[in-house]
Amino acid sequence: MTRVIVITSGKGGVGKTTTSASISSGLALRGFKTAVIDFDVGLRNLDLIMGCERRVVYDLVNVINGEANLSQALIKDKHCENLFILPASQTRDKDALTEEGVEKVLKDLSHMGFEYVVCDSPAGIERGAVMALTFADEAIVVSNPEVSSVRDSDRILGILQSKSRRAIEGREPVKEHLLITRYAPKRVEEGEMLSYKDVQELLRVPLIGVIPESDDVLQASNQGTPAIHLKDSDVATAYQDVVARFLDEDRPLRFVSYEKPGILKRLFGGK
Amino acid sequence: MADASQGKLIEFKGASLAVMTAYVRETDAVRLADAMHMMMGGMPDFFAGEPVVLDFSQLASVPDWVDWTAITSLLRRYQVQPIGVRHLPEHLHEGARRANLASLGKEGPSSERPIAKPQPPAPAPAPQPEPVAAPAPAPEAAPTVETPSAASGTTAPTLIVERPLRSGQQIYAKGGDLVLLAGMSPGSEIIADGSIHVYGPLRGRALAGARGDTSARIFSTNFGPELVSIAGVYRTFERGIPQTVAGRTAQVRLTGSDSQHTLEIIALQND
Repeated sequence: MTRVIVITSGKGGVGKTTTSASISSGLALRGFKTAVIDFDVGLRNLDLIMGCERRVVYDLVNVINGEANLSQALIKDKHCENLFILPASQTRDKDALTEEGVEKVLKDLSHMGFEYVVCDSPAGIERGAVMALTFADEAIVVSNPEVSSVRDSDRILGILQSKSRRAIEGREPVKEHLLITRYAPKRVEEGEMLSYKDVQELLRVPLIGVIPESDDVLQASNQGTPAIHLKDSDVATAYQDVVARFLDEDRPLRFVSYEKPGILKRLFGGK
Repeated sequence: MADASQGKLIEFKGASLAVMTAYVRETDAVRLADAMHMMMGGMPDFFAGEPVVLDFSQLASVPDWVDWTAITSLLRRYQVQPIGVRHLPEHLHEGARRANLASLGKEGPSSERPIAKPQPPAPAPAPQPEPVAAPAPAPEAAPTVETPSAASGTTAPTLIVERPLRSGQQIYAKGGDLVLLAGMSPGSEIIADGSIHVYGPLRGRALAGARGDTSARIFSTNFGPELVSIAGVYRTFERGIPQTVAGRTAQVRLTGSDSQHTLEIIALQND
C-alpha cells in the first residue's frame, strides 16, 4: 500500500520544500521506496534543493499530458538508493494539473511499488495546493511560530477537511501532523516568538516535530543537499526525529529550550 | 423516493412553512414607502426575494380602499415577495384577490395581539452562509451533518460539529442551536438562529439569534472571540477580551428591554 503524504502550509517561505526534501530522504534512508513530487508548477524549486536540477528532462506536466512516461520523468536521487524525484514544470501554469492526471500518476507510482509518495505543495490555496492535497493519506502542515503563518496553516487544515478525497468520500479523515520550523528558543524565551506550545494550542493538531532556525538550512539548499544529510547539525537531527515519529517511534522533543551560553563558550565563540 | 413519485408529474400535499410576516399598520403607499426607506436605508436588496405574508391585524385605521398595486410593487422593489394577506377587513378582500394575494385568514383585525412584538429584521450576517451539508463537497464547508430542519421556527434539531472549525470555514445552524465540540479558530464564523455552545476555544465570530431571537445565548468554555452578536446586537474586542472572562468559561446574553438591549458577558465559574 502506498501512503501519500502532502507537505503543505498555506503560507510561503516557511520551509515546505526543505521539509519535503528531508522527509522523503529520511524515509528512503530507512529503506522505503519513496517518490517526491514537486507540485509547484511554474516555479520548480524541489530539484534545486535535491541537487538534481541539471538532470531534469521531463516533468510532472509532461507525464500528465502523456508526453513522457513516469519512468522517463523520475530522477534518481544522488544520495539515496530508494528515492526518486518528479520535478515540476517551469514553463506551464497550474491549470495543466488535472485531478484525473494527478490521480493516474499516483496510481502508476503505486503500481511501481513505491511505499511513500511525498507531495510538495506550493504556497497559497489555489489549484496547485489543492491538487497536492487531494489524494493525501497524511498531511504534514508546516508552520512558523508566527501568527500569520499559524492562521494560514489553520486555513489549509480546513481545506484539507473539505477538499481531500478522503473527506469528500467520507472515509477516515486525512491524518494531520504539525511541524514547526524556524524555531528560535532564544526569541521564544524573550517573548518575541510564539512558543511551540502556543502554536499547537492554536492549531490543535498533534505535533510531529520542531525544527530549529539555523543557517545550515540555507547552506544545504545552496549545496543541493537535503538538510537531513548534514553532519553535526541540529536541523538534520531534528528531521531524523520527525521521520522516526512519523514511523511511530517515540522520540522526545529536542531543540525547544534555550540554554544561556556558558562563560567558556562566550569567550571562545561558537555558534 | 424517485420510485414513489414516478408517474405523478404534480402532487399536492399539505405543508406548514415558516414564512415571514409583515405587520402593516398603514395602507397609504406613500407613507409606507417613506417608512421602508427609513428602515432599509441604502439597502434596497436587504431581502432576497423572501415570501412574506402581510398582516393587517395592527392597522391604525381601516381605510375604504387600498392601492394594492402600489403596495406590492413597493415591496417588490425591496426584493420582498408578498404572497398573501391575513386579518384583512372584509371589504378589502376583493382588491387583494385581484392583486393576486391569497387570503390566509378571513377575519378582520383580531382582538388578540400577536404574542411577540414585531421584530425589526435582525441585521443579517452578511454574507448569508449556505447551510453546511455533508458529505457533499461543499466548498470548504466543515464536514458536518446537518440534520433536516423541522418546519416550525425554533424547534429545528441541534447541529453538532465534532471537528475544530478552521479559519475561513462557516457554519449556520438554521432554525436551531449549534454545538461545537472541538472549538473554533480565528477567522471562522458560526451562526445559529438559536443559541451557540462551544466546548473549547471560541476564537472567531459567533452570531446567535440570527433571526432576531433575543433570548438566544452564547456559551464557551474558553472565551476569546473576535465578535459576538445576539439578535443583531454585536460587540467586537479591539482592545482585547475583558480580563474577567478571557480564556474562561463564559456566557453572552442580552439584557434590558426591547428598545435598550445590551450585551452582557459574564464568567460562569471562578476557575
